[in-house]
Amino acid sequence: MEDNREIKPQAIIEVQDNGPIRITGNFLLSDSKKDIMESPAEVWLCRCGKSGNKPYCDESHKK
Amino acid sequence: MENERTFKRGRKYTNGEITVFWKPDTCIHASHCYRELIDVFDPGKRPWVDMYGAGTDEIIETVNMCPTDALTWKWNDEEKNADIDPAQTNHVNFRRPELLSSTTEVYEEPVSVKVMPDGPLVLNGTFTVLYGTNKKEVRESIISLCRCGASNHMPFCDGMHRKVGFIDN
Repeated sequence: MEDNREIKPQAIIEVQDNGPIRITGNFLLSDSKKDIMESPAEVWLCRCGKSGNKPYCDESHKK
Repeated sequence: MENERTFKRGRKYTNGEITVFWKPDTCIHASHCYRELIDVFDPGKRPWVDMYGAGTDEIIETVNMCPTDALTWKWNDEEKNADIDPAQTNHVNFRRPELLSSTTEVYEEPVSVKVMPDGPLVLNGTFTVLYGTNKKEVRESIISLCRCGASNHMPFCDGMHRKVGFIDN
């Protein structure tokens, strides 16, 4: 049986000190409230609660 | 009190027909339970589980949504437990495949990164987490990470989003 799925490296979740969560590798991001379902190569997610563009980081944690 | 007796570090609750088991140590605050069925699972009340808040079918359906074995259930009539449908994954006798140690997999499924509405980030799959000043590295299968900024157990969720009233904008 042929399998054409793209082989991506294993997902790495990197929690930045006083900063966002960076995710790379093989993952599927979903957010039912924002109607998001995507598999980007890299994503930065807010973990300070202040972003104006949740779930993504918008650098509000620096303010 | 018959309805709420301590078992190990958990509790159990019954409506006479089924028993729901609660293991706080394995809860990752994914919040499916109270989002689906606040009349039964209300973290703001003590006891937080009211087995008479909804019908048995609804309670089973909601317990089955729990991504860990923090909430499990069984029929009080032991005979009914014998022919349980394996799809009812949070039955107390059933071990969820993703909670067993992973064996050989040719292709790894993408890690599920789920943004819980007004709650944490719930990650499920095989992945590596790096955190802390010395970049502590752990291989995990299911965790929830704080998104509200108020956790006392950073970077993990400890349920504080409810107390601070965190709302996704």
